[in-house]
Amino acid sequence: MQDQKKKKQILLVGNPNVGKSTLFNSLCNRKQKTGNYAGVTVASLSGTYTYKNEEVEITDLPGSYSIYPTSEDEAIFTRYLIQEQENYAGVLYIADAINMKRSLLLFQQIQDLGIPILMVVNQIDEAEKRGIKINSEALSAKLNVDILRTNAKEHLGIDEVREAIFETQFKKTSQSTFEIPIEQKGLVYKIAEKTKDHNLYKIWTLLAADTYLGKIERINEIISQEDAKCNVPKRLQIQETVRRYQNIDKIISETTEKIPQRKQLLTEKLDRILVHPVWGYLVFLLILLLIFQSVFFLAEYPMNWIEGAFSWLSTFSAEQLPQGPINSLISNGIVPGIGGIVIFAPQIGILLYFLYLLEDSGYMARVIFLMDRFLRPFGLNGKSIVPLVSGTACAIPAIMSTRNIENIKERLITILVTPFMTCSARLPVYSIIIGLIIPDENFYGIKYRAIALMAMYLIGFGMSLFASLILKNIIKTKVKSFLVMDLPTYKMPLFGYDFKLVLGKVWEFISGAGKVIFTVSIILWTLSYFGPSEKQNQSVASDVKLEQSYLGKIGRGIEPAIAPLGYDWKMGISILTSFAAREVFVGTLSTLYSLDDEAPEGRLIEKMRLDTHPNGEKVFSFATGVSILFFYAFAMQCISTIAVVYRETQSLKWTLLQTFAMTLLAYFSALVAYQILK
Amino acid sequence: MQNKHPDKLCCFPKNILGKITGYDNDLLQMPTKILEMGLLPETSFKILYQAPFRGPLYIEYGSEKTRVALREQEAKFIKVEVLG
Repeated sequence: MQDQKKKKQILLVGNPNVGKSTLFNSLCNRKQKTGNYAGVTVASLSGTYTYKNEEVEITDLPGSYSIYPTSEDEAIFTRYLIQEQENYAGVLYIADAINMKRSLLLFQQIQDLGIPILMVVNQIDEAEKRGIKINSEALSAKLNVDILRTNAKEHLGIDEVREAIFETQFKKTSQSTFEIPIEQKGLVYKIAEKTKDHNLYKIWTLLAADTYLGKIERINEIISQEDAKCNVPKRLQIQETVRRYQNIDKIISETTEKIPQRKQLLTEKLDRILVHPVWGYLVFLLILLLIFQSVFFLAEYPMNWIEGAFSWLSTFSAEQLPQGPINSLISNGIVPGIGGIVIFAPQIGILLYFLYLLEDSGYMARVIFLMDRFLRPFGLNGKSIVPLVSGTACAIPAIMSTRNIENIKERLITILVTPFMTCSARLPVYSIIIGLIIPDENFYGIKYRAIALMAMYLIGFGMSLFASLILKNIIKTKVKSFLVMDLPTYKMPLFGYDFKLVLGKVWEFISGAGKVIFTVSIILWTLSYFGPSEKQNQSVASDVKLEQSYLGKIGRGIEPAIAPLGYDWKMGISILTSFAAREVFVGTLSTLYSLDDEAPEGRLIEKMRLDTHPNGEKVFSFATGVSILFFYAFAMQCISTIAVVYRETQSLKWTLLQTFAMTLLAYFSALVAYQILK
Repeated sequence: MQNKHPDKLCCFPKNILGKITGYDNDLLQMPTKILEMGLLPETSFKILYQAPFRGPLYIEYGSEKTRVALREQEAKFIKVEVLG
């Protein structure tokens, strides 16, 4: 039977930090999927629910203050709003009762574009605590829109919103609230005649928008060169904003009451400490410490369970499957390879969860406030701190979270240096190498290994700052950098919602990396099972010794390039495969060691420790270990990151430059480290 | 610099109630976001904090007591006076 129901598409729109995500979460209790427009900490999702047998799909767009974007995420919002207009039934506009004034600017812009709209006023109880009383009926009449009141946090008014969407209470107005200034009237009418579009405000926005709006740029084909020259979009934007606010001030004064409050609010109390020149930084440092502490120590328990489960699975498949090469492929290659990745899921999950909570609570804006001054000399923006910290989880979402950095140069630098931050995929490599070369001893109670790991994080951070400094002097731009950022009121984070987001992200990581490792294991196994034959009538021999196989030959082939770094051919192959993703290094090594019949038995780290060169020297010496650590600290070894950099920069030049520069740096620093220490 | 622009937001004393009177002549250089955020003429404000080493200013403004972070550089565009 076919499903005849048609989905109703709704956009969720509003200023940043007005509780859009909360409302979204309350509305869409069933299915949620990450849209193409997902950032990291700003989650934009689309979700569905069914009400009275009607299926509704809601798209949560990035928050914005006006339809004239100043950053990439705001541009995504405007583009979607304008270009997809035929594909959605209406806009559900979330207004903030605490800051009605600012909410109305974007509201009236959307309304004037002739888009059907319905208003939801959120956080009314919070506003009442501050002595703000909104007369919804009067406001509804003034704005010519239906108004619903919700408290999304306590699920109040959610059914009313669903009912209103079901009844399609989206209103379209023909009367614009913004009168086109006399100076532009002539031109606007002229365009209206040419384009047969009679929404004058829409035409005005074509004149007032800068390049950010994509398709809208066609305006220059419509108006004469002379008119285009006189048109200064920014001046029009300023004019519009000032006029609109004059009108909004009037509406607000007629519909809301404000009783002055003496009581101190939570945000004021908290900020006295959290943005304090001393305590503020101390708290931030403590939070970072808490996060890393949790990443390494809290994650240990689930990591042990996962390790146990996979080693059981490996033994189980080795015993149950018929003996032979397939058995070794599955139980020695694929299972340990995938297990090597799943084991990092808890660490990534914990890190991401903390980041989501920090963003959600409103604290991240304070971190930006505190860090801006210190990042500016490096050509970065305070907002760069979010991608840099997120980069310790994974560079991919971190690079996407640069979208709210307005200045193109600062955004580009942030994108280019974020991969230097120690992402979680480097952890498996670091922990196995540090385990090999650093003794398990204490220095006044602090483990040497912990110090080594900490040093690796610092090296990554240091290099990203150093690279920024260089890029700052290379990249030229005329656009001035600025920081105008809302400091939202603190909110209790949405623990459950964030947890769901984290689970989704972790699953993406596992399945993505799992596929790569699965493929790599099979390729490695095939290349190691077959080799060039010495018999004349046969070109391929099967079941050859590892050294005689194609894999062994390739490994020998690249040895001259990697020998100066202190690596043998097994490491060479592992490094080669880890250009797909860093964590594959450990999986590949574990596959290689289990394929090699002559390798010692036992756990991977034991095999590596005992492995020797033909001359009896240890394969994993201290010098080799340090060299590998440096290589992984700097090399751009992640195809997905390269792809994301290209998508976000839209520049092949910068993407290639970044990949080559990082990899060359990795090679030479590893070379120097090995040659000095050997 | 402290006394160079006594009528600009960047040099306004902390914790004193003031009022925005207008903007610098070079209006086109100013980020429109300042306006969009509602930092408009006649708006009352108070500088609550400043990050160390002349970092961003933490400003509370309007009857909504909205809070915003601005660099000194942006604050220089905004003309202000003490609200009596």
